[in-house]
Amino acid sequence: MQSIKFKPALKNVLLTALLASSAGLSAQAATLVFGNNGEPVSLESGNITDGISILVQHQIYDTLVHFKDGTTNTIPGLATSWKANADATSWTFNLRKGVKFHDGTPFNADAVVFNWQRFWDPKNEYGYRDQGRTYEIVGQLLGGFKGEKGSVIKDIVKVNDYTVRFDLSGSSSVLPSVVGAGYFGIASPTAVKKDGAKYGTPSSTPVGTGPFSFVSWKTGDRITLKANTDYWGTKPKVDTLVIRSIKDASQRLNELKAGTIDFTADLSPDALKDVTADKSLAAVRKPSFNVGFLSLNNSNQYLKNDKVRQAISMAINKKAIVDAFWNGLGVSSTSFLPPVLGWANSKNVPADYKYDPAAAKKMLADAGYPNGISLDLWYMPVSRPYFPNPKPIAEAMAADLSAIGIKVNLKTEDWAKYLDDRNKEPGFDMYMIGWTGDYGDPDNFYAAYYGPNAADDINFKSPELNALLDQGRAAVGQAAKAKIYAQIHEITYKAGYRIPIVHSQPLAAKRTYVQGWVPSPLGSEAFNKISIVGKK
Amino acid sequence: MAAYVLRRLLRTLLVIIGISVVVFAFVRSIPGDPAVAMLGERATPEAAARLREQLGLNQPWFINYKDPAHLFDAQYPKYVGALLHGDLGSGIKSQIPVVNELKTRFPATVELAIGAIIFALLIGLPAGIIAALRRNTVWDNLATAVSLVGVSMPVFWLGLLLSWFFAVVLGWLPPSSRLSVGYSIQPITGLDVLDGLLRGQFAAAWNAFIHLILPSVALGTIPMAITARITRNSLLEVLGQDYVRTARAKGLPPRSVTLKHALRNALLPVVTVVGLQVGALLGGAVLTETIFSWPGLGSWLYDAISLRDYPVIQGGVIFAALVVSVVNLLVDLSYAFLDPRIQYA
Repeated sequence: MQSIKFKPALKNVLLTALLASSAGLSAQAATLVFGNNGEPVSLESGNITDGISILVQHQIYDTLVHFKDGTTNTIPGLATSWKANADATSWTFNLRKGVKFHDGTPFNADAVVFNWQRFWDPKNEYGYRDQGRTYEIVGQLLGGFKGEKGSVIKDIVKVNDYTVRFDLSGSSSVLPSVVGAGYFGIASPTAVKKDGAKYGTPSSTPVGTGPFSFVSWKTGDRITLKANTDYWGTKPKVDTLVIRSIKDASQRLNELKAGTIDFTADLSPDALKDVTADKSLAAVRKPSFNVGFLSLNNSNQYLKNDKVRQAISMAINKKAIVDAFWNGLGVSSTSFLPPVLGWANSKNVPADYKYDPAAAKKMLADAGYPNGISLDLWYMPVSRPYFPNPKPIAEAMAADLSAIGIKVNLKTEDWAKYLDDRNKEPGFDMYMIGWTGDYGDPDNFYAAYYGPNAADDINFKSPELNALLDQGRAAVGQAAKAKIYAQIHEITYKAGYRIPIVHSQPLAAKRTYVQGWVPSPLGSEAFNKISIVGKK
Repeated sequence: MAAYVLRRLLRTLLVIIGISVVVFAFVRSIPGDPAVAMLGERATPEAAARLREQLGLNQPWFINYKDPAHLFDAQYPKYVGALLHGDLGSGIKSQIPVVNELKTRFPATVELAIGAIIFALLIGLPAGIIAALRRNTVWDNLATAVSLVGVSMPVFWLGLLLSWFFAVVLGWLPPSSRLSVGYSIQPITGLDVLDGLLRGQFAAAWNAFIHLILPSVALGTIPMAITARITRNSLLEVLGQDYVRTARAKGLPPRSVTLKHALRNALLPVVTVVGLQVGALLGGAVLTETIFSWPGLGSWLYDAISLRDYPVIQGGVIFAALVVSVVNLLVDLSYAFLDPRIQYA
């Protein structure tokens, strides 16, 4: 009798299938897959301003200062402690000892100075981008670059191997929060020098001290990271972290339901019902750290009039709109600041806008327009966490305004053009936009839209407000700050150029076996504390 | 024949030069500034101006008429100069050389396009043949109805629907992407299914294949519907011709008459249409790839357009034009094989 032999090819098939399935199983048990809403721009800290990149970078890099889980309160990161001098014009950071970058090189004061110099100094050899070498976010968060008048930083000095001092051009109490922002991950100087201009692109190896180290980046598709077993903080609970890029929110939900991703964020509020109906899924509500608002332009002849602006803010039923379009995942308030920063609100301003169409109509008549007026309202063509579906929200606001006699022409245009046109003369009459915070300080919100460097979209500049913003930035301690920001709150509320509509809670979701996820309000967080419990 | 091919290639070169000028002028005249688009909500005029300067976007486009000594110190001459060295520049946002990205993105799109064409022919051809042979029956009406629905269904809607039904409800196929987590295939051609087979990674090849099905169906639906219509009409026309009647009169079996005599001649317009569909497939890939997280040319261009990433748009469009030109040439050459009467001089 002849013995039966597998043909080699067939044998290969069986063997490969067997190996693949067993390897698949053991790898899966320790692989965590996150569905990100797009692809990072770069994995070079010092090259990015977008949330998608920050999220990925946060797994690879640490910042000097971290934030307590689920809050915006600072805790030690790569710096174990920090202290200001008496007038807060200089901050000294004591660095963590014994920390190594993923490439084995030591983390120390030289590494911090190296990174911060390249962020801040446009002439630095290792600064980002081939041509100009300026890192926009430094200009925006810290007033400018080295050699510029507005720059908050005067110098960054190594005191000793584990101590670094930031000398400032004025007083600032927010500096620790700023250096903790997800943008400013500390990279290995050796790795940055080695890859040069290529550093951070898919063909390089980004090196930080973070909980995960870089394995591969398949552009347009996924980034694979592995656990850093030497991590100084909480060691990752999984072996591998895969971050997939899935742009379409409905597709992210499909992937989650199909079990091909373990957790995801930035779902549409409509998905809440779907997620709660599925027993294998759990909704994760991120703390709100944003504001979606309506901006009114002072260049418009009607909107110049305080009473018209007031009438508009009274005419829009914000609470009803938030209930209708955010599925309970948002709050409306009269403050530009999200609820976590509520301590900086004034007690003299009501918590919510008074919705009173009759009074609004009277106010409009008092302003001299008993027969009504006509205005353009521009809505965003894209979805953002603060305005997930701008068009129907704009329609609802238009309906409320037409009830008091304001005829609204709804308009929109391509996002790139929208962002451009809002700052060009004469700008938009009324338009929707928003802001998500970078770090836990009221300054980050107010300065962005009311400060001296803010956009020219509403043609409103107030020296009084600017002076208060300077004071707020310098004030040390929450009580001192609260006093100043309460005044800012009152002024901006009365002026009514920017009407806060919502502080939304972006919807995230996970498979139920994903445990230990405390989402950060800041939008960037390390996934080292997340584990897979039970069967995947 | 050789002269014909050479002439066509020269014409292709002219077309590419023309397209480079047009796309260069076109992307720069779309309102919306790359610097502002990239900064998003954070775009203050100062920050945008600074970024614009960094990116060299404040220089003139075609000629630097303000400074005659540096007449060609403008964006286009620099671009063409680099292009002649095979350098398409780097993405404004990613800083990745456009050529590098093309190398990984293009095979992904080719794989998807092949999948779509196979689906289109697999369903479209038989549907068209059945409709023609069973004219004015239920089968004919069914084929017509299916092709009508196929043409009028928006790709993104169809894509999401397919994903939801086959991945979420039935759990048969993966919802998106090219490979499951845990698999990887070292590229040879860049076509995952093929590379998996070539490397003997059969489980990975199978995984790549099942990932290919849904996007191929989404992308292939319109060509499928068109193929079915054209096949039906073309076959009906041929079946009415004298030589078919002669073949029947000779007593040849009906199957042989239809398949050997009629179908071969009826296929000529089908080939033309399938060839023309290549351009449409590249266009359709923009939405299909975006929906299915397929890392190809389409999703890459989609992002680039919304960000006004000029070098990526230029490189992608010029390359796509090249591909369409070459495919058209191949289609024209294939006529000679299908129809011996056609000769090239």
